[in-house]
Amino acid sequence: MIKFPLVELFDKRSLILHFSWMNIKLRFKGSYLGLIWTGLEPLLMFLILFVVFSSIREVPEENFGIYLITGVLFYHMFSRGTSTGLVSLKENSSILKSFKIKKELFPVIATVTTCILLFVEIGVLFSLMPVFEFTPGWNIVFLPVLLMLFLILVLGISYILSVLYVYVKDIQPFWTIFVYALLFVSPIFWYTSEVDGILLNIQQINPFGQLVEMAHKIIVFNENPSLLEWISTTIIIFGILFVGFIMFKKLESKIVEQL
Amino acid sequence: MSSVSHYTNNSNQILALDNISLTIEKGETIGVIGLNGSGKTTLLRIISGVYQPDSGSLLINGHLAPLLQIGTGFKEELDAEENIILYGLLLGFTKNEIKKKIDDIIRFAELEKFHKLKLKNYSAGMRSRLAFSTAIQINPDILLVDEILAVGDAVFKEKSFKAFLEFKKQNKTIVYTTHNINMILDLSDRVILIDQGRIVKIGKPSDVVSYYNEIIKSHNTTNDKIF
Repeated sequence: MIKFPLVELFDKRSLILHFSWMNIKLRFKGSYLGLIWTGLEPLLMFLILFVVFSSIREVPEENFGIYLITGVLFYHMFSRGTSTGLVSLKENSSILKSFKIKKELFPVIATVTTCILLFVEIGVLFSLMPVFEFTPGWNIVFLPVLLMLFLILVLGISYILSVLYVYVKDIQPFWTIFVYALLFVSPIFWYTSEVDGILLNIQQINPFGQLVEMAHKIIVFNENPSLLEWISTTIIIFGILFVGFIMFKKLESKIVEQL
Repeated sequence: MSSVSHYTNNSNQILALDNISLTIEKGETIGVIGLNGSGKTTLLRIISGVYQPDSGSLLINGHLAPLLQIGTGFKEELDAEENIILYGLLLGFTKNEIKKKIDDIIRFAELEKFHKLKLKNYSAGMRSRLAFSTAIQINPDILLVDEILAVGDAVFKEKSFKAFLEFKKQNKTIVYTTHNINMILDLSDRVILIDQGRIVKIGKPSDVVSYYNEIIKSHNTTNDKIF
């Protein structure tokens, strides 16, 4: 019988936090720029997109810079977070083969690692604000809630991807392409006011796109997303978490033999 | 007391273990022997909870520390202390519990000079000592050991043997696999012989070992040409 997952996670918090921290430490060991790379990657991506799109067309709104960097940061974290989650079981195969340990801890560890890196990225966001002479409004207090939802989305997807990846390696290239597509179908370098038709339809059902748009409202436009938006996004994201976790539990019993 | 009853395990269409049923009493030292590929590691993985059996059930009473593949869970870029913490967390202890034992563990493993060195610079023997020392100091009720004592010098073998004896004195349970027949005879209360996934014989060490020798002889008399 599945004990309520949160209780199990709380029991294992020592292990989860320590392993996440070790992941961060190991990721940047031996590199000179270290943790700075976490911020540098999206920054470079942002610069390229900013220069290209500013020159391609008339930017309809002001604060395009902050608008773009917000989207790029979320995208970068989503891409990193889900790909780390995807390999979380495979990468720890030797541990899984030698110890009795709850398999669902590994996507969680991957997500907590992502959470720590998220703080670095938010730091990048705030440090760019003076560069664009931008001051956020008070609606930014909702940002932590949005980030929580974001991490839950990453976790839910990580549950699904990590367990599928053990059985079907093709999931990885498939997911890479899917994330690549997200860059274009999510409102990262375009505004929802500019588009209609298929892009708008996709946006309605794209939880990642919804989060990005809500981030825009909170950070850039100083608006509070409507209650409907909060509720529908929360429901979809928790739905994904629920489905992901159930799927994980159903498929987990033969993971170790497959690894 | 721990008991294991009636399970089969299919991996990649190979029947790794077939209809295993056994009961191990608290404080027993059980040696598991058999040819390579007979199913010893699979058996230990099932007992330690790493694998789930396709059918049947497993009952464990007490805290179990597995020593299955030496040094897995060790991160090469970290030093001994950090790895002890990781290892201890994997064995089910909290960070505080392990931190208190770090000095004892390093001392038992005789790695005081090397404790700040990264694991990647450790020899296989040093890793064995570190893993073994951590598992022992953490004082589980049941210790599962899968052939790790094959690696390590004579000093370590002596030390680990003494540690096992101490363990036995405290009425703890040990289940281990080895190809070292002397160790089997000296240490075990009972011995299990596994062949092709089945328990072929279980009982007194001397009886089972002679049976095992018969099996080995019968394999050697097949006239395989080497060249």
